[in-house]
Amino acid sequence: MPSPTLDPILEGRRSQPHQLIEVLQDVQSLYGYIPEEAMRCVSTELGVPLMEVYRVASFYKAFSLKPRGKNVITMCQGTACHVRGAKLLLNQATGQLGVEPGEMTPDGLFTVQRVNCLGACALGPVVTENGSYYHHMTPGRLRGLIESLRHEGVEETAHA
Amino acid sequence: MLRYVTIKIDGAFIRAPRGTSVLDTAIEYGICIPHLCHVSGLTEIGACRLCIVEHEVAGRARVTTSCTLSVQEGMVVWTNTDKIKRLRRNIAELLVAQAPNSRAIQDVALRCGVREVRYPFRNQDCVLCGRCVRACAEIWQARAIGFVGRGKERRVDYPFGRRPDFCKQCNYCVQLCPMTITPCEGPMKNGEERLCGNCESQLMAAEENPDGCIWCQLGEGFQCGRYV
Amino acid sequence: MPELGSFIDLEALRERIVREREPLRNTLIICGGTGCQASRSRAVIEAVREELVRQGLQDGVRLRVTGCHGFCEQGPIAVVEPGRTFYCHVRPEDAADIVSETILQGRVVERLLYTDPVTGGKVRTEPEIPFYMAQDRQLLSQNRLVDPCVIDDYLAIGGYSALARVLAGMSREDVIREIQSSGLRGRGGGGFPTGRKWAECHEAPGDEKYVICNADEGDPGAYMDRCLLEGNPHLVLEGMMIGAYAVGAHQGYVYVRNEYPLAVDHVRTAVRQARELGLLGPNILGSGFSFDVQISRGGGAFVCGESTALMASLEGKAGEPRPKDIHTVVDGLWHKPTVLNNVETWANVPSIALQGAAWFSAKGSPGSKGTKILALTGRIKNTGLIEVAMGTPLRTVVHDIGGGALNGKAIKAVQTGGPSGGCLPVDRFDLPVDFDALAQAGSMVGSGGIVVMDEETCMVDVAKYFLAFLQDESCGKCVPCRLGIDRMLEIVTDITEGRGTLEQVELLEDLADTVGQTALCGLGKTAANPVLSTLRYFREEYEAHITENRCPAGVCQALITYVVDPEKCTGCGVCLRACPHGAIRGDKKQIHEIDALLCQRCGICRSECKFQAIRVH
Repeated sequence: MPSPTLDPILEGRRSQPHQLIEVLQDVQSLYGYIPEEAMRCVSTELGVPLMEVYRVASFYKAFSLKPRGKNVITMCQGTACHVRGAKLLLNQATGQLGVEPGEMTPDGLFTVQRVNCLGACALGPVVTENGSYYHHMTPGRLRGLIESLRHEGVEETAHA
Repeated sequence: MLRYVTIKIDGAFIRAPRGTSVLDTAIEYGICIPHLCHVSGLTEIGACRLCIVEHEVAGRARVTTSCTLSVQEGMVVWTNTDKIKRLRRNIAELLVAQAPNSRAIQDVALRCGVREVRYPFRNQDCVLCGRCVRACAEIWQARAIGFVGRGKERRVDYPFGRRPDFCKQCNYCVQLCPMTITPCEGPMKNGEERLCGNCESQLMAAEENPDGCIWCQLGEGFQCGRYV
Repeated sequence: MPELGSFIDLEALRERIVREREPLRNTLIICGGTGCQASRSRAVIEAVREELVRQGLQDGVRLRVTGCHGFCEQGPIAVVEPGRTFYCHVRPEDAADIVSETILQGRVVERLLYTDPVTGGKVRTEPEIPFYMAQDRQLLSQNRLVDPCVIDDYLAIGGYSALARVLAGMSREDVIREIQSSGLRGRGGGGFPTGRKWAECHEAPGDEKYVICNADEGDPGAYMDRCLLEGNPHLVLEGMMIGAYAVGAHQGYVYVRNEYPLAVDHVRTAVRQARELGLLGPNILGSGFSFDVQISRGGGAFVCGESTALMASLEGKAGEPRPKDIHTVVDGLWHKPTVLNNVETWANVPSIALQGAAWFSAKGSPGSKGTKILALTGRIKNTGLIEVAMGTPLRTVVHDIGGGALNGKAIKAVQTGGPSGGCLPVDRFDLPVDFDALAQAGSMVGSGGIVVMDEETCMVDVAKYFLAFLQDESCGKCVPCRLGIDRMLEIVTDITEGRGTLEQVELLEDLADTVGQTALCGLGKTAANPVLSTLRYFREEYEAHITENRCPAGVCQALITYVVDPEKCTGCGVCLRACPHGAIRGDKKQIHEIDALLCQRCGICRSECKFQAIRVH
């Protein structure tokens, strides 16, 4: 990938190793994951050894080293959500989509993710999807949400 | 010009240069503190927790690793209390249950007093002691390998899983790795894991001198700092 | 707006703001916090805006979008002033009624009032709601009064007057002494005396010092810091400024966890607005004191709530803790003396500076002063964020504020302090919310999370849950944490799946003790608490799993079976369709049956059944 794409992200941060995490967060937002070439570019531009960039990218859960699905369904597994049956939601999602948490469906439409507490505990169980929060979720409602997202995805490819 | 401080280890007064660790001082003076991730000349990370000692501070005893504890004037340290022996033994037990297929791990476990392993054995080929990573970063400064991932997924790997061209092939990583030292009776395949216990003779001598160095074969096995 | 060059400028601005707002009496307050946003409060806010314009009232009625009010399950929440009429579960369609009836005519919209779950009656105003009545909302009540993105709101209620008082008339030693005598202890979990931390940093050699706000709130079930940072960021900033002045720091950092985008947004806005007024930057209010703040986001790692890991993360590295033989107040961020405090700790500072240590220490118990924000969640009627004086008994929290059990089940325990804390049984509910009392009982106050558990919660499963959480979040550097937690989890899993032995329980206790004493950082050191506290108070549940192969709470999948109750089943077929394993058979309107071999006890059918016809055996 050509370096110019990362220029806006690297602006004002070149040769500043301590900006590594902020830079990687912007890369993650831009591509939905951290591509290998982006890591090489960041290593050179920031002055951080490649091994260290790879290490940091693999340490933090906010960063994905593999591409993620179009719809990232994040399920809160915090304590309050857990005692309200958050595990059922995880069972529902993995059962319905046939993938384990962290994996993407073969059609590239979904990635299921667990997160350890979103801080909306009184409204649990909570699920977020691309910035929207869904509260008091049940397996039935989650099934419905996934189906409607799938239909959107099918429609888009049909119109493409 | 070296400045010395006087500290007390196990009741004995010892003079040590300012800036050295309690572990290095103990090794120098022949006091036995088992260790694994410590390698003379590399930075200390305090990861294996085997070198723990009791550090007396304001009337209370803090359990801390001697490799990361710098000597201070008047410091009081105990290396072989019953509590330390039990804690150390439990940690070594965890290590040998995880990676029994190494003479170094078996020997350090025995030196720490492990007589039985109460967990189901696994047969991992890395104990994440970090010797290789630090050697690569600090001796040749190649940084071709490093820690990757977190928690249970933590492992040592190349960037992107492929050996980079800036790996100098110096072989230090292999030389320092405790897992490359084969158990005395040969490698343990899956299903063959057990606590070795072959060096009973060494262990008996060590038990009679729990805190002193007796140049045991066990120390040779886990590349004790006294040998290097 | 021109920059404030002196204390007089600040007061003049404040007076002007208050004067300009005088004539505007009617205020409609709508919660825009993350919780209410999940309940679609943004649509409500838009509807209200449109309605006000439609009725030509956009200049006659103030619409204030605030942060969290703490009663999230009742959201979206709207409060009408004057009178503090409290409306809950507000929908966009209700905007017209609220404006026409309540604002214009002072009449209450009955259907939007809060219903007391105990009496069944309607409650009109916020102060009369039992949930709020039993609390002491020193910090949280401010959220209602400010729009976090409008610095004028904060100034109008007296904001930054504490800073002015400090810069104008107190020496650094004065400030430290005040905080020390107040008895303020860290609100993030450590409970370390704040004044002593500041004093040690102040005494540490060096000209370059830092202050950090730890907003990495990772305890699952805790969202106090999110609420403070989203709802009243200036309060936290003001606290940091006072602390920075006291220890001699000129640069501060707010480290916010990645999962709180709204909090990041609001604190960035607050910093920008403070800078515009000259409250951050060089020569603040002409005092000669310079200070600025940078915001940093976390990368999704609970371990980064640990102070040395947080500092490593700020330095752009992996968040691995380092040994603390030398404290971070001497050798911290960039190896410089650093004061790291939690959001709530900083939030308490301005009121202490303004009203004095004696005022603060008048509340609370001998060892724990002031108030504490708690996140009350779980199996009780009223969940949300509450604030009580330290020393309040757990019983008051669970019953007077929490409203008691949900659905008539029997409450069994409270879990306090997050993954570093422990579970306390009902017969210990007289224990006060107090750092030392809870620690002695085998738990801790921690960051303030309180999860209420009832007869349908399996305590062994709770231990397993926390161990799995810590295993996921461990950095993996040291042996006791990485391997020890793994083996503890292995044993507890064996127990929940019917393979446990009593020898394993002994081993578990030995291992838990070892991990607690030898781990490198706080995460590992406290990892044993959930296990040890459940063994201490709920040993009979462990024993039931082991000797009777039975899970008393009916939770552990390997030890239960699901059965259809023939008296309740209506044959509606909902469970059959919901089952992902095809384990349910039955014709329409006929009693359905569960195939025990195919059933995985995932629990989905039970949660879908509207007739409670699926029982645990």
